[in-house]
Amino acid sequence: MATFPKLKTNAVAQYPAGKSLRYQNQTLRFLDGVEQRYRDSSSPLHRWEIRLSELDETEMAAINSFFSDNQGSFGSFVFTDPWDGQQYPNCSLDADSLEAQAVAELSLSTSVVIRENRQ
Amino acid sequence: MLTYPQLSSGAITHFPVRKRRVTRTITNTTLDGRAIKLADPGAETTQWQLQYSALSDEELSMLQQFFSAAEGTLNTFLFLDPTDNLLAWSGQLDQAVWECAPFLSLSSDISDLAGGTAAWTLTNSSSAAQSIQQTLNAPAGYVYCFSAYARCNQPVTVTMLRGTDRFDRAVGPGWSRLVVSGASAPADSISFGLELPGNATIDVYGLQVEPQTFPSAYKPTQATTGVYADARLRDDLFSFTTTDVNRHSCAVNIIHANHL
Repeated sequence: MATFPKLKTNAVAQYPAGKSLRYQNQTLRFLDGVEQRYRDSSSPLHRWEIRLSELDETEMAAINSFFSDNQGSFGSFVFTDPWDGQQYPNCSLDADSLEAQAVAELSLSTSVVIRENRQ
Repeated sequence: MLTYPQLSSGAITHFPVRKRRVTRTITNTTLDGRAIKLADPGAETTQWQLQYSALSDEELSMLQQFFSAAEGTLNTFLFLDPTDNLLAWSGQLDQAVWECAPFLSLSSDISDLAGGTAAWTLTNSSSAAQSIQQTLNAPAGYVYCFSAYARCNQPVTVTMLRGTDRFDRAVGPGWSRLVVSGASAPADSISFGLELPGNATIDVYGLQVEPQTFPSAYKPTQATTGVYADARLRDDLFSFTTTDVNRHSCAVNIIHANHL
């Protein structure tokens, strides 16, 4: 199984980084205003926003290659949560696009969003 | 074939450069949150936004002539990605794209300059010179920078090949970057490679060809390279701003799509 590439510093993400949890609950609302809620999924799903800057060309090439290998959001891979080190075995890129900006040599930036898939 | 022009410096663009790759995945999300996905590799597109500033009159005229020749979005052209390595499989010298002479043996997983093991050892077991090279379907008259890191235990002189041109470079025990820059005689394709003298052994890493005068940081590649044969301008409009005498700025958007 593929793994999200690490930077040369061995880090996965840089500051600022974002993380979110999403439950999928359903709500039934009755005529008298009472609501009944229930879980519609077994567990929450995680989502990470990885913004990377000041990358060198080799690091950017690794991310580019990872994007190609996964064919955008199609493939799945193991992602290690940079907050707690926990491994999530079934994750995908959230979008079918990858944008890189080079403002100078050895100064590239990009961002990706990773989402955990339902098993 | 129409080719996207280089500036007088040999560069294709100025900083900043934006490159955007877009794939297509058909996703069917079920009620319980699971997703059934189907990839559509034929729908991939790549887009570049090239920003130019302080262009001379001559350089602006060249871009305008190119825009006229392409007739905006109508005609395709060859685009050499200024942010990428033009060689395919730059870290896999045993791939079929590399033409390797029969007495040149390759061994991989050698420690490299970057702290990994992506270097290769090239051993010439014969007494005659042997080479490894790759041919690009790109105009030979363009300015290219061919570079590679090399080292060897016994000092040796290797030959860098660019088309029919040959350049000798000394290799010693420490990693050094061998660089050749310039244009060759016009032709529809051009080869780049290294030639070892008889009974020589060297370690190599980071072979790279770029459409510019000087080498930039090494960018490892796989099957996809920076050569895009059927690129198009994204817009039918070419506008520029003149900021001073003989000084102009503009932006050009280029798109490449497999399915167009």
